[in-house]
Amino acid sequence: MLLSKRVTAVLSASLLTLSCQAALAADSLNFVSWGGTTQDAQKQAWAVPFTKSSDIKVVQDGPTDYGKLKAMVESGNVQWDVVDVEADFALRAAAEGLLEPLDFNTIKRDRIDPRFVSDHGVGSFFFSFVLGYNEGKLGTNKPVDWTALFDTKTYPGKRALYKWPSPGVLELALLADGVAADKLYPLDLDRAFKKLDTIKKNIVWWGGGAQSQQLLASGEASLGQFWNGRVYALQQDGAPVGVSWKQNLVMADFLVIPKGAKNKDAAMKFLANASGAEGQAEFANLTAYAPVNLDSISKLDEKLAPNLPTAYAQDQVTLDFAYWAKNGQSIANRWNEWLVK
Amino acid sequence: MKVAINAQQNAQGAPTGTGAPGAAVPPPSMRQRWRGSRNLVPALLFLGLFFFAPLIGLLLRGVLEPVPGLGNYEQLFANSAYARVLFNTFSVAGLVTLISVLLGFPLAWAITLVPNGWGRWLLNIVLLSMWTSLLARTYSWLVLLQASGVINKALMAMGIIDAPLEMVHNLTGVVIGMSYIMIPFIVLPLQATMHAIDPMVLQAGSICGASPWTNFFKVFLPLCRSGLFSGALMVFVMSLGYYVTPALLGGAQNMMLPEFIVQQVQSFLNWGLASAAAALLIAITLVLFYFYLKLQPESPVGNAR
Repeated sequence: MLLSKRVTAVLSASLLTLSCQAALAADSLNFVSWGGTTQDAQKQAWAVPFTKSSDIKVVQDGPTDYGKLKAMVESGNVQWDVVDVEADFALRAAAEGLLEPLDFNTIKRDRIDPRFVSDHGVGSFFFSFVLGYNEGKLGTNKPVDWTALFDTKTYPGKRALYKWPSPGVLELALLADGVAADKLYPLDLDRAFKKLDTIKKNIVWWGGGAQSQQLLASGEASLGQFWNGRVYALQQDGAPVGVSWKQNLVMADFLVIPKGAKNKDAAMKFLANASGAEGQAEFANLTAYAPVNLDSISKLDEKLAPNLPTAYAQDQVTLDFAYWAKNGQSIANRWNEWLVK
Repeated sequence: MKVAINAQQNAQGAPTGTGAPGAAVPPPSMRQRWRGSRNLVPALLFLGLFFFAPLIGLLLRGVLEPVPGLGNYEQLFANSAYARVLFNTFSVAGLVTLISVLLGFPLAWAITLVPNGWGRWLLNIVLLSMWTSLLARTYSWLVLLQASGVINKALMAMGIIDAPLEMVHNLTGVVIGMSYIMIPFIVLPLQATMHAIDPMVLQAGSICGASPWTNFFKVFLPLCRSGLFSGALMVFVMSLGYYVTPALLGGAQNMMLPEFIVQQVQSFLNWGLASAAAALLIAITLVLFYFYLKLQPESPVGNAR
């Protein structure tokens, strides 16, 4: 008798928690990003105010993993509602049917820089690959543009380049080889690799932001290709680091909703909020990444504004995400072949 | 049932035990051998459901995606870049094994030779390094080996070198970092083997007129063989599948198979090719593991008794 009472108590308790979870689930969404300071800023700039105004809880998860995203969509058990991904992946995943189309009645498309919005994704932030250099290593000899990377006599030392076969390295090699910015695509791979061959021994590859900072600040690399926010952070810390914005290469992250996301409607509202003028400006002020919303520029911190890609639009090359989405895999094959040769 | 298992264990354990040599105990019959195997059902069910089923699913992708057939394997073997990745994987694993053996052997010997208390201390230090976070240890090597790192600065201050040595973001870095991580895995089996060797045997050798060198090569080394082989194989197999250390300490041009698989899975969602590469790695590992088992005196395929 006692036992059965206990059993009933346990059962009803577990049922209660189950129903509570169900009730909670309706008012929450999972947000997935790359972790670190970026996700902290996204939480502070987007999630916290969003929860306050809408009463929808935002659960932070991560890091972003494209393999996991695909597995979730394929198995039909999608745990993630909003995911921060690279722009070229957003376009590729949309083509593979992994993403929900966005609801542009909720999200205001007309105020977003058209470079950073598509039917299945809206910009999370954008940034530039800039030419960063260690002033201690190069002294008064300040490099100006990407050609400096290939001039080992004037600028001795290692060159730090981004390790993955993704937009950036091939483009800067072509620009340095004299290709006009508007004639970059389709990429002349033979020419790009031939140019990179001339400095292959002098390249040190970085795979993540922290590693790139370590290479540049320590002087292990005297110059290279860096994310603008990372160089800015080094300068803020007083590291002897300089930057040239000439032909800065624009890359972006997109926010997407995986196909079959459980809290789709809440996710749309979240995207509208995150890509809004306020959310974008707040995030930019926290991270030194640039806002995708055109109305955010006036809301930027005065000290920070000159250090963002938005201030160097005139000499800017926007990388072609659509081209990479389509050709990324075959370029990667060539890339790997060249690397291990 | 329990008694039966114990009895069986005793029977199998006997050859290495203190008492009777292997011949004294008749080998258990088939029925005896499989007695109590029903107890394994829950474990087998668990493994089958949560390990083998997903594994088979993964391997099937290699022949089903993007189109059914052996296209992925063809691509893997035809492309010179992938052949190079395979070659890198093997040469790094081989080099790491060699260095681990060369460094681990004297260490294991030292642990065996020094007075008891000290030996335990040495062993604890080896074990302690194993328990420290892999990432922390790998990053420490990065700090030590980089151009502006401790080692280069010290060497330059002493005037031994003029320019910093390149010891990281290349093959050197990977081999140093991985050898360091693998040394415990060779020291432990080796030390166990050496510990079991009766010192009288060596004494007998020298009494019979063997020089120290002959004694080492003709008596000691053959006695260490099983520990040496099993340790070396374990290190080799583990090195084949290593990801973190090569990714952090290596340069992009020394890509190994695990990193290639991660790239295909995470960046390109090319799961067919990744699964083919994974299958290759599993096949190689299984073949090597078979040899590993053969060298274990108590294994079902062993012949070392």
